[in-house]
Amino acid sequence: MTKKEFLHALEEAMAANKDSIRGDESLQDQVGWDSMATVSFIAMADEKLGTLVEPAKLAACKTVSDLIALFPGKIS
Amino acid sequence: MKAFIKTIEYYLPETILDNQQLAVEFSDWSAEKIKAKTGIDQRHIVKKDECASDLGVAAARKLLESGVVAAKEVDYLILCTQSPDYFLPTTACLIQNRLGLPKSCGALDINLGCSGFVYGLGLAKGLIETGQARNVLLITAETYSKHIHPGDKSVRTLFGDGAAATLISAYESTEDAIGPFVYGTDGSGALNLIVPTGGMRKARVIDAPIRNDESNNQRTENDLFMNGAEIFNFTLRIIPPLVKQLLEVSGLSHEQIDVWVFHQANQYMLEHIRKKLGISEKQFVLSFADCGNTVSSTIPIALKNAALQGQMKPGHKVALVSFGVGYSWAGTMIQWRGI
Repeated sequence: MTKKEFLHALEEAMAANKDSIRGDESLQDQVGWDSMATVSFIAMADEKLGTLVEPAKLAACKTVSDLIALFPGKIS
Repeated sequence: MKAFIKTIEYYLPETILDNQQLAVEFSDWSAEKIKAKTGIDQRHIVKKDECASDLGVAAARKLLESGVVAAKEVDYLILCTQSPDYFLPTTACLIQNRLGLPKSCGALDINLGCSGFVYGLGLAKGLIETGQARNVLLITAETYSKHIHPGDKSVRTLFGDGAAATLISAYESTEDAIGPFVYGTDGSGALNLIVPTGGMRKARVIDAPIRNDESNNQRTENDLFMNGAEIFNFTLRIIPPLVKQLLEVSGLSHEQIDVWVFHQANQYMLEHIRKKLGISEKQFVLSFADCGNTVSSTIPIALKNAALQGQMKPGHKVALVSFGVGYSWAGTMIQWRGI
């Protein structure tokens, strides 16, 4: 999956406008990350990347870049 | 002698909590967002002086008044609840008295949440098919609202109060109408869905401080805590192997199942699992928009509504899949005989 595809999938999971997430935003302050978002993200990662995200690792993420770093080798 | 589900009734308390009310309280979640993510329009919430047992009694009275069985014919009562009236005596004993069930009736509580109905069916089947009972009244009754802090939107949006009464009866046959069963438990997940105080491990804390989590949900240590991400992760890990094992022990293929009834946790999670398992929308029961997640009652409520709406018909093979707090999970097959 390319980084652009990942960001679009993230936008869909967050019900955000297309191309509104650049990739360096703070999750809490700029992306509206909350408990619903974490569930949506886990579903997206399972469906699109075939990966079950560990919630503890997800909870440690502060930025969109941190989310990308959860999938080494899977996002180009 | 075999056991079958003879009838189901349910009862929801009168007070409604809808998405519009929640959106006023939690301004960063619109009514539309709540609906989109949970699939829930409203939840029923008990009044202060209403207990889970009251809901259970109401559901059971509907069942008895339907004429399918007389109170004097019920010889075993199982109450599944995590909101008992007291630590002791057993709440099922109180319900036996309120319903006028015979004094020869056995009665006990089981403390399970989302997996409780399927576990209850397993116990009922065992009681009937070993000749210990002929008519088992399984009541699932829950008031999670009493465990939830009003400032915790993560769980207030999901859980509703309610009860179901299911009659499991004996019939002469060599063919199973309930079963086989697959069970599972993983207590390492206990802390991810818990009310930390009020039991023997830690007493309820007077004037417990309110804490905000990273999503601004408020709760004290006396209130229900749910780590949604961990619960969803657990669900995605155990459901595919649970379904596979259930089909294997049943000797059935995916295509031979007519209807699937999962624990009605929330629509987003269920839709994801439905697609992951390749189940069609037509065969997948969703029936909780007007009552929310009623914990151990979601499956009997969904069965009743699916039967009434014609999604489930006599002769159908129905897979029940339940999972949740504990962690605890269970699956079974039902040969639906109609209600």
